[in-house]
Amino acid sequence: MAASNSENDSKNEIPSSSEAEQPQFQAIRMPTMEEIRAQEVWNNCAVRSVVSGVMVVVIFAGGGLGFFMGMFLGALDNPIMQDEMTGRQQFVYNVKQMGRRSLSSAKAFAVMGLVFSAVECVVEKARAKHDTTNTVVAGCVTGGTMSARGGPKAACAGCAGFAAFSVLIEKFFDRHT
Amino acid sequence: MAANNTPAGINKEQAFGMAETEMEYRVELFNRLTQTCFNKCVDKRYKESELNMGENTCIDRCVSKYWQVNGIIGQMLNAGGQPPM
Repeated sequence: MAASNSENDSKNEIPSSSEAEQPQFQAIRMPTMEEIRAQEVWNNCAVRSVVSGVMVVVIFAGGGLGFFMGMFLGALDNPIMQDEMTGRQQFVYNVKQMGRRSLSSAKAFAVMGLVFSAVECVVEKARAKHDTTNTVVAGCVTGGTMSARGGPKAACAGCAGFAAFSVLIEKFFDRHT
Repeated sequence: MAANNTPAGINKEQAFGMAETEMEYRVELFNRLTQTCFNKCVDKRYKESELNMGENTCIDRCVSKYWQVNGIIGQMLNAGGQPPM
């Protein structure tokens, strides 16, 4: 009896316990063309990577992260020219330096996010599997391109480092869902 | 269906019978298709409820191949009297 009951349950039905079941079966609804197209937009690799890059910028700038990072990094190596400017001019100069630095790091982060997301999307589409290998390859390519200026050795180190970092982040997020 | 338009010989009962057979065939095809592609493409350790992109691509390819093979075999069964073996 229990087996036939569970077989008769359609996907929209919550099996009631002991009382008589009122079998209100709802037919399986196929998605309409609009729904399919709306979902297909999110499957496009270009759209996904651009949205990821924009999200990185928004989180960076809007969350005040950029401001704080710019402040700390800017305070580290700002020349304090005391004999040339007054206190107020120095303050304005420091703030401008902070803004410039946070803008440049925001750009760097956005590019990183865009490249990572694009590569991961393309690799996953090609393999048709959802794995950690996609993350490793994407991290390697991102790290390699970001530190390609220092020569092949720096590129390899960047690749390995960023791949390890992104795998760690992925495992961290997976454990908490 | 073309069977409904042929004159003489096909009465209502036979048409219903053929429609029923066709319906059963279609339902069976759909069930087999979803089962095969689900077992092939979706990892059984469910981590989230939405299909991620790898699974989506896999299902696209699986369904496309299944349908193509189904069409080819259907044609072969329709055309040849003797199995080509």
